[in-house]
Amino acid sequence: MKFKLIYPKWEKLEGQTTFNLPPHGPVVFAATLPEYVDIDFVDENVEPLNLDDPCDFVGISMMLTTQIKRGWEIADHYRQQGVKVMFGGISTMLHAEETLQHADAIFLGESEGRMEKVLDDWRNNRLQKVYNFMNNRPDIALVGPARRDILNRDLYYHKGVQMVDLFHASRGCQFSCYPCAVSYLGGRDFRPRPIHKAIEELETIENNRLFIVDNSLAQNTEWEKELFKAMIPLKKKWCSHTIEDKPEVLELAAKAGAWYVYQAVFDTSDYIKNRIKQYHDFGIGVEGTILLGLDNQTEDDILRLIDFLLEINLDLAEFTVLTPFPHTKAWDDMVKEKRIFNFNWNDYNAGKVVFQPKNMSAERLQELYHYAWDTFYKDETQNQKMFNLFRKVVDKELEEGTYRSRRMDLANTSFGRKVERKVANL
Amino acid sequence: MLNNSKYLDKIYHYKGEWDVDSQCGLKISPAKDGKTVIIATELYDKNPGTSVTQWNTNLATVLCRENGIAPDKLIFIEHTPDKGSKLAFYNETFYKVDFEWDGDKFINPNWKKISKDTVENLLKE
Repeated sequence: MKFKLIYPKWEKLEGQTTFNLPPHGPVVFAATLPEYVDIDFVDENVEPLNLDDPCDFVGISMMLTTQIKRGWEIADHYRQQGVKVMFGGISTMLHAEETLQHADAIFLGESEGRMEKVLDDWRNNRLQKVYNFMNNRPDIALVGPARRDILNRDLYYHKGVQMVDLFHASRGCQFSCYPCAVSYLGGRDFRPRPIHKAIEELETIENNRLFIVDNSLAQNTEWEKELFKAMIPLKKKWCSHTIEDKPEVLELAAKAGAWYVYQAVFDTSDYIKNRIKQYHDFGIGVEGTILLGLDNQTEDDILRLIDFLLEINLDLAEFTVLTPFPHTKAWDDMVKEKRIFNFNWNDYNAGKVVFQPKNMSAERLQELYHYAWDTFYKDETQNQKMFNLFRKVVDKELEEGTYRSRRMDLANTSFGRKVERKVANL
Repeated sequence: MLNNSKYLDKIYHYKGEWDVDSQCGLKISPAKDGKTVIIATELYDKNPGTSVTQWNTNLATVLCRENGIAPDKLIFIEHTPDKGSKLAFYNETFYKVDFEWDGDKFINPNWKKISKDTVENLLKE
């Protein structure tokens, strides 16, 4: 059986360096398919999608809201050819009702232990419209290892440097943060994978640089410490979202290979300043993530925040515009107040203003968003700062003897496309 | 956050979107002109499923049926409690929600922010 698994493309954000990381949803999903399924995976962001390739069944895996309209377009094409299409993934769950209009089936929830039944239904021509496992999460011990073998590996290199591989050690989130839909998607219970299963999977990943995509590792101190201890011998280097701010945890994280973290910067407080310093004290870099457009932000607040960011020695900063995704409190609040003026899902990329901010016009918020990017990276470009952060991990790898030089056969390509590589005159 | 909340008499369990187990705080109180006030309180971290806001038409419909409230006699209030956070979007709010009735269920919610005083006055009547 030929199962075509597709990850639809989306328009990248203007003015920012584009990196294509090997997508995680599809490889995790692929691991839940029975072994007899022949998976043909296409990441449309790095390779063209041949819509005329014969296949038996199509699965469309969507993570971002800004992917869904393309996903629907692809599905419509295949369904016109008589091929059954099933959707899954984060944005399928967030936009389930609309996606149903373009699907033979949608899968809601986590697919571990469930796909044999789905395929049996397909084979017997009784595919259900909705496979609803929102209320019924699988045993976390069933998770992984992800099927990274389905990836066309050479397409995830930039000028010979391999991109990080994505990995998750837990699911669910006990927090219920304002702009976030994670607790709807993965449940409010923190579900850590058994440490030995997480390590087993890490051992299968050849890449020595990773992105641990867990919502927050800081949900269970003892598990977090055990995970880091177990990771030390693997000598991987990794980035992640927040790590707990206890010194003993940070020390273990550093020993386990913590390269840098994504840390929300929501005010100009000493708490934030000290948090960042603390990471740096343990040799862990910080990419600040800054959300613009919150109701408590005036223009002055945003300008002050930008100035603050320049003082606190961030390695990188990523600015996003508050985006009211469905199934978040932000959505609920904006809908109640009729403040959303744009429901074009293509624009829900966290770079376009789709709602009326409280303390300024939408146009002004959009301008401040661009101003933030331009100002933070005025003296050192994003590429330069990324290179500095990259040098830090290279230095650590050289010390440990785990450094791998770039692939010269891919030195003149970036994500599958030919590029010119500027080499410094020595 | 919810201890001793005078706007919450009990926890109400419901099946939200895609049958996800959900819960909200509930207070049902008579008001003047034979009307009934229902205050549905969003429980945030304690609600594992669909928010009150996202499910309000279904909630209002079911609650009217369960409590024998005529659709035109309902005053439905969405309450978000003070989460004790320094972040303003977790302050206490009250929204009165007006619906249309299609003969079988409520549809087309329309929210209007109201003050605590307004809620208090409604509950006194």
